[in-house]
Amino acid sequence: MSLIEARGLAKTYRLGQVDVQALRGADVDVAAGEYIAITGPSGSGKSTLMHILGCLDSPTAGSYRLDGEDVGTLSGKRLAYVRNRKVGFVFQTFNLMPRLTVEENVALPLKYRGGVPRGERRVRALKLLERLGLSDRIGHRPDELSGGERQRVAIARALVGEPAILMADEPTGNLDSKAGSEVMKTFAELHAAGHTIVLVTHDPGVAARAERMIQMSDGLVV
Amino acid sequence: MNLVESLLTGLDEARRHWGQTLLSLLGLILGTGSIVTVLALFGGQTALTEQFLNEVGGRGTIVVYDREPSAHPGARELASKRLTFHDAQFLRDRATALMAVSPGWAKQLSYRVGNVSFDGQVIGTVPDYMTINDIKPLVGRYLSDLDVRQQARVAVLGWKYADSLFGRATAALGQVVSIGEKSYRVVGVLEREEFYFAAWEDNALEYRNERAYIPISAAIAQYSANDRLDFLTLKARAGAGGAGAQAQVRSLLYARHGVEDFDIRASGQGAGQDSGQFLMLFNFIFLVVGVVSLVTGGIVIANILLASVVERVREFGTRMALGATAGGIFAHVLAEVLVITAIGGLLGLGLGAALTGIVAQAMQMPAVVSPFIATISLATAVSVGLIAGLFPALRAARLSPVEALRYA
Repeated sequence: MSLIEARGLAKTYRLGQVDVQALRGADVDVAAGEYIAITGPSGSGKSTLMHILGCLDSPTAGSYRLDGEDVGTLSGKRLAYVRNRKVGFVFQTFNLMPRLTVEENVALPLKYRGGVPRGERRVRALKLLERLGLSDRIGHRPDELSGGERQRVAIARALVGEPAILMADEPTGNLDSKAGSEVMKTFAELHAAGHTIVLVTHDPGVAARAERMIQMSDGLVV
Repeated sequence: MNLVESLLTGLDEARRHWGQTLLSLLGLILGTGSIVTVLALFGGQTALTEQFLNEVGGRGTIVVYDREPSAHPGARELASKRLTFHDAQFLRDRATALMAVSPGWAKQLSYRVGNVSFDGQVIGTVPDYMTINDIKPLVGRYLSDLDVRQQARVAVLGWKYADSLFGRATAALGQVVSIGEKSYRVVGVLEREEFYFAAWEDNALEYRNERAYIPISAAIAQYSANDRLDFLTLKARAGAGGAGAQAQVRSLLYARHGVEDFDIRASGQGAGQDSGQFLMLFNFIFLVVGVVSLVTGGIVIANILLASVVERVREFGTRMALGATAGGIFAHVLAEVLVITAIGGLLGLGLGAALTGIVAQAMQMPAVVSPFIATISLATAVSVGLIAGLFPALRAARLSPVEALRYA
């Protein structure tokens, strides 16, 4: 069974008087364990598709099943649950909480999950930080880290809830090439360990590292 | 995330940006401080009034005055015998709510000793008057039942008159004073009575130092053609309550007189009114300052929260992407406000206590910040915060994750 099964996803934005069709009926299937790059020129709808797949946005038409659950019909509260349990999302701009420490940042999804004791949250956060080579950074604030380190903290945060799928929106977009390749190495390791990964990038070099590529153009998968 | 966690997160947020938090609290602190001060001064004043009432005989002391005859009296009023000795006896027999009744007679007469003379008040009364009004002799004794029975020409002098007539209050004892051209032997001099509502006020009990008491029988025999009284001093039973006793006395006297040609008042009523008016104005100003500061404080808090929400929209978007619910975000913002305003309220309470101390010291007035006042002002501060924080919290919670994340 596919982890992601999306049919005819469409998204229309209203910008003032004009309707903008960001997505015009995209079909996407992702099987468990796959490593997929969604690419395409800017304005091709790849970010919109990513937001819908990550349950951050809802499509105006089409159906979307994530891990067997029909996301289109879910309430706000259940959507929050899905975002918390099934999806680990990595942003281009890291989006770490500036006032929280690295460890607190990573543990945040478990805090929102509820019912996970503080001690366990800590243990799980520390375990992931160790795995991503950030053990010496746990007490630091995000502004004390390099870009590559921040993105790896964000990856740790995305993984801490053990989601079904890891999604990354231009994960190397704000990084220099060295930090970018470090982050890509992390993704490769995670894929090797069995994680399902979908990332969006406009960088062909980054896309080439994925197992499979989904090419987008004008709101359609080509 | 549950409510407790939301509260903890909110507290954490407030702790992590102290500068901004304190700034937004200024209005709240000033407002709470002002309100605390007003309430404390007001409470002190109320306590002072209570104390004064105790000084003049306690809450249960009632005075019935003979009312001035009307300009065009009706038949009933003309038929009434007005306030008399019999009324006193009647109330003793019938007014179950009373424990003591003392008839009173009053007149302005000339006092004279040697070449010192002046006009002043003379009160004709009975021994009960002393117990009802809690009057104590400084030297000598008070009037006795025997004095009343024998129409004895004896007088008990108030401190001031004894002092003025004899140069020294205690020197008056055993001397003779001429009152209304009749000679009286001074058998007692009263303690000096003092009570100040505020440092700038005159002695509210000075009138008690400026009078002499003589047996009511002597007073009526010497100076009156009838047994009319000028007032009755009454003491309600402990359980009866002043208002109930007043009502009973009113209906009993009305039944006898057929007309309301008397006035009934609680003793000490109207005393300290001047200082009361001044304080009202003072309290009013403080109250206005307090409310204005609180409202301003609320607006500032709402504004800063709105601004910080705009600053933090993307942060909320991220939080939602990580699994925060709309309710969680709402609770988060609201908890932050609650924590902030509670801190502001506490600081305001401290300021208010300090201010109260300074004002009470400067104006020589009693004022206490009681637990009740503390609770009220804290509750006010937190309510203002809640109202101010509701709108920003709702706004933050309504965003969808992607809207929030796109917010530039």
